[in-house]
Amino acid sequence: MAGLIIAVPVFVTLIAGLVNGGGDAWSHIRDTLLVGYTGGTLGMLALTGIMILITAVPAAWLVTMYQFPGRGVFEWLLILPLAAPGYVLAYAYADLMGLMGPFQVAIRDVTGLSARDYWFPDMRNLPGLAFVLTCALYPYVYLTARAAFVSQSVCALEAARSLGASSFRRFWQVALPAARPAIAAGLALALMEAAADYGAAEYLGVPTLTFGIVRAWQSFGEPAAAARLALVLVAIVIGLILAERYTRGRAGSQQSSTRWRTVSRARLPLGAGLAASALCGLIFLVAFVLPVSRLVWLVMESRDSIAPIGRALFNTLILAGSGAALAFVLALVIALTVRQSGLVAGFARLMASTGYAIPGAVLALGALIVMGQLGLTLTGAGAIFALAWVYASRFTTSGAEPMVAALGRAPASMGYAAESLGASPLRRAVSVDLPVALSGAMAGALILFVESLKELPATLMLRPFNWDTLSVRANAYATDERLAAAALPSLLITLAGLLPVILLSWRLSRSRPGDAE
Amino acid sequence: MSVHLTARNVSRRYGVSTVVNGVSLDLEPGKITALLGGSGAGKSTLLRLFAGLEPLDEGEIRLGDQMLSAPGKTVPAEKRRIGLIFQDFALFPHLTAAQNVAFGLKSRGKAAARTIAAEWLARLGLTGRADAYPHELSGGEQQRVAIARALAPEPAAILMDEPFSGLDPALRGSVRDTALAAIREAGIPALLVTHDPTEALESSDAIAILQGGRLLQQGLARDVYLKPDSAAIAAALGPVSRISGPDMPAGLTGQAVPAGSELVVRPEGVVQDETSPVRATVVTSQLTGPLCRLLLDCAGQELVALVPRMTAPKAGAEIGIRLDPALTFIFQSADS
Repeated sequence: MAGLIIAVPVFVTLIAGLVNGGGDAWSHIRDTLLVGYTGGTLGMLALTGIMILITAVPAAWLVTMYQFPGRGVFEWLLILPLAAPGYVLAYAYADLMGLMGPFQVAIRDVTGLSARDYWFPDMRNLPGLAFVLTCALYPYVYLTARAAFVSQSVCALEAARSLGASSFRRFWQVALPAARPAIAAGLALALMEAAADYGAAEYLGVPTLTFGIVRAWQSFGEPAAAARLALVLVAIVIGLILAERYTRGRAGSQQSSTRWRTVSRARLPLGAGLAASALCGLIFLVAFVLPVSRLVWLVMESRDSIAPIGRALFNTLILAGSGAALAFVLALVIALTVRQSGLVAGFARLMASTGYAIPGAVLALGALIVMGQLGLTLTGAGAIFALAWVYASRFTTSGAEPMVAALGRAPASMGYAAESLGASPLRRAVSVDLPVALSGAMAGALILFVESLKELPATLMLRPFNWDTLSVRANAYATDERLAAAALPSLLITLAGLLPVILLSWRLSRSRPGDAE
Repeated sequence: MSVHLTARNVSRRYGVSTVVNGVSLDLEPGKITALLGGSGAGKSTLLRLFAGLEPLDEGEIRLGDQMLSAPGKTVPAEKRRIGLIFQDFALFPHLTAAQNVAFGLKSRGKAAARTIAAEWLARLGLTGRADAYPHELSGGEQQRVAIARALAPEPAAILMDEPFSGLDPALRGSVRDTALAAIREAGIPALLVTHDPTEALESSDAIAILQGGRLLQQGLARDVYLKPDSAAIAAALGPVSRISGPDMPAGLTGQAVPAGSELVVRPEGVVQDETSPVRATVVTSQLTGPLCRLLLDCAGQELVALVPRMTAPKAGAEIGIRLDPALTFIFQSADS
């Protein structure tokens, strides 16, 4: 049931895309925009993927395997960029790198050149979008790669050493292939997020499918045409999932090792150590410090004329809160049934996890189509419920994850013990599993709330009239080129985003399989 | 061309605790030396020092006349040409059996590496499994691949860390025989780290016993078994019964047992002999495989004996016993 609630929006959209004719707008979109949208999404995914890999994997390898100045701090600092959504970084970077940004002003001041006389990287194109999304999303791959490197068999690396393999060959031919499935899983996750991005692509003027879906709905008022675009986008996402499965292949990656030895990090010589610190520092600086401090600066500079955001804050709390509440209940149901095998439970889990892969714009479209069929309009409680539904559809899986993990830490025999003591399945769920799952519930609820708060395209499409949230306000101000006004809501979103990230890095620092003998 | 691998006065400290303490050990080419000790005895650390995976704090390790380790100077593991075999096999999960074996043959060129790998797999009876991935192999097959992988680059020495204890007991014997034959044939020094005295006695030419980071005794396996230097060493190599001097039943030994000393006897050294004046009561009698294990009460002292099933007395019987002098040792008591 929970799975079904979650899965309805995406299936409605897919069916609408397949069954309905596209309408008049569709032929226009198909003939003039479809290739551009698809190319934009594919190009963005390819470039972002490459940039994420070359950023995240070496960083993860360095902090896992070597000792260098600041390593312990960088290990968790490098996760922080996860807090800021791509569109927030896009606003900050467009301002930083723009004509009136500090870099270009400095160049003109120092050289006396005018703006036409020199070349400066432009953010408002595909590489700019890929850069911004890399900054926002590389931590997914950093996290999975780091986890894989930490849990790898130290013995395999030592065997490689005894066979004469240099440290580069040990990384390239032993550690990296063994970590490949984990890296692919992190990359697939990051690219799903990238495919779902609307705000950054729109602001940087790169036509992508998600951008097209929102545009088809808002400008053309054509849900059918939007649904057609959604079909293409979902096909690409499914392609990502299949590609991820494919990388697992026949070759094993599971280490046979059951013995763990402390990962004794080799101390890098001073020069190499400083280079490693500099690399990690540069990544953190570029992906987090620069854009966030620019936002802070913008807020401080315009603090007298700041646009009031109290109303947007209130709306955000209500909308994200109700989305999180609905998702929380569903996540709890999923977490509690996760142990149950059988067709229904398995199906529900599968349904629930599709939601996470599907971009918010596609889910919002599904909800809009359902509401249209039911004759509801986007006002009042109905709209709030629809939006909460979409949030739940998209994020329930990520909220269920910490609860499932909490349950996973309790041995299965605990349930058998309850049963042998005569507890009915219901009593077992309520009095045994529920308290255990709730230990992961704080983290789950926080993740759900923050994810809902960051979500832009679905909120944009579904919010009740006059119910602007922080993300919608930030987007509206930025689109109006009022970046100073966009800075405050952007900053608040990032601050909220920091909470689960800090929680995550705290949990990470406490569970280190490589440290247990 | 094969040379000795020698540790001289080697020590290794972690903070305040000294894990390996002044150990000198000479590994002869073509001989398997078993390093026997309980957990925490420092066996694995000593192996890691030989392998170059850790620096040492005192002493030196040499391969022939080449200095491998000295304080502040460690030839890295990848430059030592010393093969390693682990308890958990440590095969590369993403490479096939043949690719695993060829991993250390990079300098030979692709074609030669493939031929050599195939030869080694054949030698260890794995011809049909060359293209299988580790997770498709059984435990015994995985271990044989690991051995082929370690031997294929013709290392100068080979070090094995509990190589057979991960294996099914039914399989262990045959894998061990195949593996050790290949290693002896290579004619290089070999170190076998184990906590199992039976394995140490069965597989090795020489035995070194490590306890608390110190080497207690080393020598030919047979010598150490039959002439242990202390009660602790005798106990490390298998079960023993111990009786301290003052409690000695009259006439049990021909020798005098001085007051501050104790008698240590192996179970197979307690012989049933009805002509003996020394009597003992059988407390329990249990068949434990090839032999029958008797728990005896001899004038209030406990003795364990292993006797053939055919002649084994029943519980409650009174029998005559004597001790085999070759398996009976008298040491100064540890507490005196």
